[in-house]
Amino acid sequence: MVTQVEKNNQSASRQNIFSETFRFCGEPARFMRANLFVIWIVILFLFWMFTPIQGIPYPSEVLAAFQRMFASEANDTSNLVYNTWTTLKLNIVGLFFASVVSLLIAYFSVLPILQPLNQILQWFRYLPIVAFNLVFLSIFTIGWSMKVAMLSTGMAFFLITSMTAEIAQIPKLKYELARVLNYGDFKVFWTVVLRPTLPAMIDIVAQSAAMGWVMIVAIETFNRTEGGIGAAIYSYSSTNQKAEVYVYLIIIGIIAILEDQFFYWLKRILFPYTTISERA
Amino acid sequence: MEELLNIDNVSKSFPLNDGKTLQVLSDVNLRILNIPEKPQILSILGPSGGGKTTLLRILAGLDKPDSGRVIIKDGSMREVKIGDIGVVFQRYPLFDDQTVLNNLVEPAKNGGLSAQEAKAKALKYLEEFELVRQADSYPMQLSGGQRQRVAIAQQLIQERRYVILDEPFSGLDPNNIQKVINLLTHTAEQHTDNTFIIVTHDVTSAMIISDHVHLLGKPNDTEEKGGAYFVKEYDMIAEGLAYQPDIEDLPRFLEIKKEIKYVHFPRLVIARN
Repeated sequence: MVTQVEKNNQSASRQNIFSETFRFCGEPARFMRANLFVIWIVILFLFWMFTPIQGIPYPSEVLAAFQRMFASEANDTSNLVYNTWTTLKLNIVGLFFASVVSLLIAYFSVLPILQPLNQILQWFRYLPIVAFNLVFLSIFTIGWSMKVAMLSTGMAFFLITSMTAEIAQIPKLKYELARVLNYGDFKVFWTVVLRPTLPAMIDIVAQSAAMGWVMIVAIETFNRTEGGIGAAIYSYSSTNQKAEVYVYLIIIGIIAILEDQFFYWLKRILFPYTTISERA
Repeated sequence: MEELLNIDNVSKSFPLNDGKTLQVLSDVNLRILNIPEKPQILSILGPSGGGKTTLLRILAGLDKPDSGRVIIKDGSMREVKIGDIGVVFQRYPLFDDQTVLNNLVEPAKNGGLSAQEAKAKALKYLEEFELVRQADSYPMQLSGGQRQRVAIAQQLIQERRYVILDEPFSGLDPNNIQKVINLLTHTAEQHTDNTFIIVTHDVTSAMIISDHVHLLGKPNDTEEKGGAYFVKEYDMIAEGLAYQPDIEDLPRFLEIKKEIKYVHFPRLVIARN
């Protein structure tokens, strides 16, 4: 029986696994850990500066490209802020719809009649969403609504799989405890299924947000009418403008880190008990 | 008024992978009385594989017997249904996303109390079980003993006559067994309207704590063989060879007169073909 709190504790203690495994390394102090982080960033930056790999532009080139892209016309599809905002908006809206739909489908999988549908939808995650471009085109007009629909659908297949797996992990004993306490069906669902799994659902959405960026690039490549990071990367790649591509890669990385922090903060605010340490 | 829990000719089998059937319970009969104002603890004792858990699940309404029935008398005679009998499961599962207080308030509210009444009652139980300081803690922050106390209080708060405890001594060292015995004895004295049914394989603890011991045999045991197993264990305990109870309990333990009922010795695997 692994509870949500236990899982969070396991996750929190995971960072110490290596120091526990390789005891000769010792347990680095918090200050030291922060320093190690900075040291690794510096190492990677130095590698970037002096890399012999031809395909990677130098930092100075990327910086120059950043200034050019930032300074271009605000509504121009080569403008950095415009493209970043277009894609970020798509990411947020797509993730919202995908999360709502997936949560509903995953939680309703406790109803036997919906379990086969849930299973079939999980199999769809193996299929590349852009292959259904024409299907979406026949339902939506090309542009914003079609991109949102494609992104939401593509992410939902993964979200449903992870969310359903989380629900399936609830120990049978928890249901039986609720039953012997005379809880009705809805209260069992609320007490055993919905409420305790919500923190894990935030983790799952956070992971899928990262996956969404991979899909976005593909979706925006197919739907370039409104610009966006995906369309821009496609356009710059086809003209071999490596520095511009790397500007967007760095921006995606920064947004991903901020999104991770946002979900971590959200979980702490909504479910403070998930940060409680296991009793020694 | 006497309450009654009656197990009438209950049988239960499970299909095995090789096409055979494992007969776990066969025509089990057991009569459990609840006499108000009298603390009562009884044990269903038996070795592993003797069908204790299966019987517990049928008693609690979690599983249906293949044949036979469990009758509860609470005013009228009727078949037992899930929720009639409280169960303190092994390892004490609780609602981990809720505080200790809410783990008691919710079942109390479900029993028909208003939010205020439920909270007042929960606080009373926390006081009784010495858990007031843990009221705002989460189950993950509790020790095993504290979890057990919350789990017992959670079942008692709905005021059901019968509360079953599944292997409450399992995996504990003698010191902690003694603590659990003290806790259960004290709880039974405080809740004289309840009958506590302990399902265990721990002969010593069952003998110390119970007013009645019902022996559930292993498959293929005869009544004589089951009795011999029990007597042998009992002799060992009496001689202080198997387990030394707390010195203050020893005289009481040795003087105690147990009513031992040999409930059932089911047959071994029965082939379907």
